[in-house]
Amino acid sequence: MEKLTVSRGKNALYFKYDGEVTLDVTPELKRHLDAELADNEVAAVVLDLSGVGFMDSSGIGFLVSVNTRMRSIGKACYLCRLSPKVRKTLGLVQLLSYFQVLENEEDVAALLS
Amino acid sequence: MIRRIFAAHSAPEQSRGLAREVVGFLGQYLSDQNILHDLDIMLTEACANVARHAYRGGEGRLEVRLAVSPGESVDLDIVDWGYGFEGPVRFVNPAPEAEGGRGLFIISRLSDAVAVRSEGQENIVAIHKKIGKTSWKS
Repeated sequence: MEKLTVSRGKNALYFKYDGEVTLDVTPELKRHLDAELADNEVAAVVLDLSGVGFMDSSGIGFLVSVNTRMRSIGKACYLCRLSPKVRKTLGLVQLLSYFQVLENEEDVAALLS
Repeated sequence: MIRRIFAAHSAPEQSRGLAREVVGFLGQYLSDQNILHDLDIMLTEACANVARHAYRGGEGRLEVRLAVSPGESVDLDIVDWGYGFEGPVRFVNPAPEAEGGRGLFIISRLSDAVAVRSEGQENIVAIHKKIGKTSWKS
């Protein structure tokens, strides 16, 4: 995927997609993330949502599935840099407090250094 | 009242494209980007429901019937000719762990009224949104 940025820090996998996260892209996003997590060496995933200007319930489902997968194996999933539209959408379905959201850049840097 | 019908095939990328087309048309009348985003989300959710469920794995016709009352409201009927809704339709927020089932809840939160009904062969999600006068282009 052209708009996908993936990198590995010392403590986490960084995953960023720029564009709309809707039904027509979530299956591919999931495939990419599954491939990155296949070696089971990642302690945490950091999903950067700064480039997501539109997200529907399929996108919400994608975030929930990543979170569930990581928690089920004792690992962590973090969201960071939420765009205003993403923040509004997650607020609508009352999930802002369900996810671990990194609000400080220091916390993001600490995971990705 | 301005009326317009938009149609597409119910494949995921086309259903999203249909929602964007309708919102693009509404941009002629509405200046408020937050309202346009709300309408975009509602349309995308309703069209995605058709893509996912209406034709049970297959594809079929998807239509959006738009009625604009400038200065007052927008009505959107999202129509398919598929298998219809199974059981009672619920507009509740599922548990946080649920990966799906939020579409109708989101629509209900962003609209002033939403109804689901079948008429003959048509299955219809009818959305009504009131829009204040300051959100319209003069």
